[in-house]
Amino acid sequence: MTAPAIEFREVTKTYRKKLGGQEVPALTHVSFTVSQGEICAFIGPNGAGKTTSINILMGFLYADWGHVRVLAYEPGDVRAKSRIGFVPENFAFYKHLKAETLLRFHAKLAGVEQIKTSGLIRDLVTKVKLNGYEKLKIGRYSRGMVQRLGIAQALLADPDLLVLDEPTSGLDPSGRKEVRDLIFELKTAGKTIFLSSHILSEVEQICDQAIIINRGRVMHAGTMTQLLAAGDQVEILADRLTDELEVVLREWGASVERSAQGVRITVATGRKREAAERLWLAGCDVISLRPMKGSLEDFYMKVVGSGEVA
Amino acid sequence: MRLRTIALNTFGLFLRDRLLIIFGMVFLCVVLLMTTPLLVMKSQTTTSNMLNMQACVLQTVSMMMFMVSGAGSLLAAWAAADGLVSEMKSGTILAVMARPVKRWEFLLGKYLGVLLLMAFYVVMMFLLSLLLARMGGQKIPVATWPLLLLYPMVRYAIYAAIAMAIATLLHPVFTWAVTLLLGVLAAMAVPRGPHVTNPLRWLESGLYYLLPSTHFLSEDRFLVIKHASLRQASWLEHLTTLAYGMDYAAVMLLVAVWSFHYRSLKRD
Repeated sequence: MTAPAIEFREVTKTYRKKLGGQEVPALTHVSFTVSQGEICAFIGPNGAGKTTSINILMGFLYADWGHVRVLAYEPGDVRAKSRIGFVPENFAFYKHLKAETLLRFHAKLAGVEQIKTSGLIRDLVTKVKLNGYEKLKIGRYSRGMVQRLGIAQALLADPDLLVLDEPTSGLDPSGRKEVRDLIFELKTAGKTIFLSSHILSEVEQICDQAIIINRGRVMHAGTMTQLLAAGDQVEILADRLTDELEVVLREWGASVERSAQGVRITVATGRKREAAERLWLAGCDVISLRPMKGSLEDFYMKVVGSGEVA
Repeated sequence: MRLRTIALNTFGLFLRDRLLIIFGMVFLCVVLLMTTPLLVMKSQTTTSNMLNMQACVLQTVSMMMFMVSGAGSLLAAWAAADGLVSEMKSGTILAVMARPVKRWEFLLGKYLGVLLLMAFYVVMMFLLSLLLARMGGQKIPVATWPLLLLYPMVRYAIYAAIAMAIATLLHPVFTWAVTLLLGVLAAMAVPRGPHVTNPLRWLESGLYYLLPSTHFLSEDRFLVIKHASLRQASWLEHLTTLAYGMDYAAVMLLVAVWSFHYRSLKRD
């Protein structure tokens, strides 16, 4: 059995303010695993502990307690880091360098063979759509361009694990789509991706697994399929609806939308049979009846709002 | 390879650092001002004022060495502290440390970058001293050249290492101030005999052994500027003195590596 790409067990981290200031708990007994080849979303509100977890994972911070393994090594181990591509939140760069020089600098640090560097840089610059700008100083790049450059540098050493902290922040919709496509492409190539993001619709589209964290505690960890199947409503499409029945359905908490094509009724799963039978008895034709998938946003709001730990 | 990459990148960053550029410009202005009397005398050289001319040249070269020594130590301390802290402030350290780079490699790379800057500085000042001496019709003996280059470099290596160790804990301005204070104390501290009763003298003696001895590491011990000649000293004496300096720098660098190893690398 292959070791998980990322393993957090009971990880606890408290920030201690200097000169006797108060302690701020950042992570409290955080446990999760990410299997190899998965795309895992790490979501939570600001200050939830996402960046702290990523910093521990990358070896930038030390946990006070708990067990962390990245690609079967301790965080910060160069054997693990040589297989990781990392895009920090708000990727910082040496402004005076040109993109090509920066990528060359990172390629040297990553131990990429010099003979391969030029070709690799050319390919990556094309992949992140920065061709034509590689000779421009990075200080003159837009935020989106910097973000793309950050993604390019993360891919330099053909990593097995990609840790992306808000990779699409600062990108326009087409830039976001390009990053999404790139992530899909990387998944197809068997890479593991650990992605922190606030854009839930995006996460829903691309991730296999989601970990929701709030106030330093894991609130939910599971597959996206499990998470989205948790919807508790059904959608009924009917050709028409009588006024009397509409009143009854609304009393049950259903929502009704009329259009030229018919009527769309959303009702609780527990009432689906009763609603369908009433429609039938009233002489309305039920065109379709299907369970409604929950949205990640609804689930997230429910979990983060409730404060209940998984 | 990684060390070289980090060191060269650090050196490149210094050459673009606005504060260091201003420092260089101010320094150049001061040096040019110092050469003015020399040029005036040169234009009016006669047999009678030849001795005045010689004295002026020697004084200028002496002041140049004093500046190389004092300002260089401060420059080394600032560059070491700022070189490390600015990477943490800007967050560029995160992308670098995400690479297969060990923490000690990063710190040593930065340190070597500082030494490259200081080597550049020492060579520039040395060339200027040679030029001034030549203008005044003097010659700095070739035998003294290694001393004029090596001794300042060892002092800068010490101050850079001290500053780097402090910078892992403090803001660069505080680091610079503390290093400056240590430098002043080191210059003031002198060895006392074994039977010291006065607590102040005892403290002074303690500081002499604890702090890097700038007097001990000064080329002035060997070079008598007012006669432009060398005091005879064996190579063994030079070697042991320089080894003392390198040893001190190595210890401070190890302290810096140890402190940096346990430091959080999050963006400040």
